[in-house]
Amino acid sequence: MRAAVRSGWRIGAAAAALRGRAGRPLSQAAGEGGGAEGGGGSGSREAVERLVREHPVVVFMKGSPAQPLCGFSNAVVQILRLHGVEDYRAHDVLQDPDLRQGIKNYSNWPTIPQVYLNGEFVGGCDILLQMHQNGDLVEELKKLGIRSALLDAEKDQEKK
Amino acid sequence: MRGPLLAAAGGAMGGAGGPLARTIHAKLTAALQPTHLEIRNDSPRHGGPPGAETHFGVLVVSGRFAGLPLLQRHRLVHEALRAELAGPLHALQVIARTPQQWESDPHAPPAPPCLGGSKR
Repeated sequence: MRAAVRSGWRIGAAAAALRGRAGRPLSQAAGEGGGAEGGGGSGSREAVERLVREHPVVVFMKGSPAQPLCGFSNAVVQILRLHGVEDYRAHDVLQDPDLRQGIKNYSNWPTIPQVYLNGEFVGGCDILLQMHQNGDLVEELKKLGIRSALLDAEKDQEKK
Repeated sequence: MRGPLLAAAGGAMGGAGGPLARTIHAKLTAALQPTHLEIRNDSPRHGGPPGAETHFGVLVVSGRFAGLPLLQRHRLVHEALRAELAGPLHALQVIARTPQQWESDPHAPPAPPCLGGSKR
């Protein structure tokens, strides 16, 4: 079960159901062994550090990619989807108040959603949108070895 | 920006906007000396009751942003509104441009929400 939970939101509803039965927020289950107390909980610097380094693309949001619960979080999900980025780690801060505060402390950024690329804080929904509009996001994804779907869309256009 | 706009830099507020809107205006003006400033109260769009001041959008044009990446520009805006963001200001959209950028494109991009159907 732990492996299924760790594989992130790709499983969607199934993962949410598993998490519900496990009774622990996804963010806790993903990074630590059962009952690990060291470091002071899911909002601690150490815990957050583990989460942001878990995957090249990590998002802290309200709700899930399958069901965002906030327009700004939804915007981040939609932008990533436009670029064909469906494999990423998403953490629902509404499920974990310690994480919700901890991620704001970690990045010194007051709002959710927060986007991390290669462990580095990139910004919120406004910045991601501007990066999407000015082409920077395609470049940043390329640095992570992720080919944006928009490049293929352009190629198809050229072929026609 | 769509929606009711509150004063540009140098203009009198004339009573428009609630107390938080006026505070945001004053603090951003003091911190960033903007050449252009637009403040939009989005609270009604997020289900707020009349008079709610919880969700705002700001468009700030300032020479202070020159040479700074977006992240740093936004941090400057957040810094100016630190107390409000720790308090009643629940969400803040930010557009931060230099005067040159604003001159070459004096339009705010449309607000994010529905990305379904947009082509790029």
